[in-house]
Amino acid sequence: MLVQQGVMGLGKNLRLKSARAALDMSQKDLADAVGVTRQTINAIENGDYNPTIRLCIKICKVLGKTLNDIFWEEDTYG
Amino acid sequence: MDRSGLDEMQQSKRNKIGNQCFLLLLYLLLIDGGLYGFGFRWVEYPANIMILLTLCSGIYVVRLIAANAYVGPNKGKDRTAVRTIMTSAAAVLTGLVVVYLLKSVDLVSKAGIDEIAAPVLFITAAVAITVAVTVGVLNRIQTRRED
Repeated sequence: MLVQQGVMGLGKNLRLKSARAALDMSQKDLADAVGVTRQTINAIENGDYNPTIRLCIKICKVLGKTLNDIFWEEDTYG
Repeated sequence: MDRSGLDEMQQSKRNKIGNQCFLLLLYLLLIDGGLYGFGFRWVEYPANIMILLTLCSGIYVVRLIAANAYVGPNKGKDRTAVRTIMTSAAAVLTGLVVVYLLKSVDLVSKAGIDEIAAPVLFITAAVAITVAVTVGVLNRIQTRRED
């Protein structure tokens, strides 16, 4: 079963962080690329904010990943 | 992103803070009215309403700036700083002028409050317009430089 990370308070989005780091991008670089503030990217990575699907898609396009790669994970509880 | 230039997280923060400040204003006005019903008037009308409105507006702006929901990402670093500094300077300037004016005014009597209300309104509006025009001019200059 797939669950959206953050909705259930699953904590940090480490896959977003690693995908960003793989492209050698800072939070500021990614924020500028998708048109948000650095604090918003930081909040998403820390699991403090659930982005809209539009922002998720923008982030995925910039990072060259799919929504599944970044924002969805296997449910480890069931 | 809407016309305000804020991103989605900033918009949600702004909405949350706005709702809280609105409810705060409502409760304070209710308390004010309740106290008057019990025969206690802490400051004469209309100064009590002006003070409560100013207090809630001040809390709103300060919380917006503290939550990084005052200036959007498109404004750039310089413009964010300019806008924040100009707003802070305007707030301090308005505060100083109002305090200076209120020094010589009798706030207990209704006549004294009525006398000072117009100058305070005029000064506040003048400062706000000056700040808005200055920020607009600076933004235009910076946009031209970036192009």
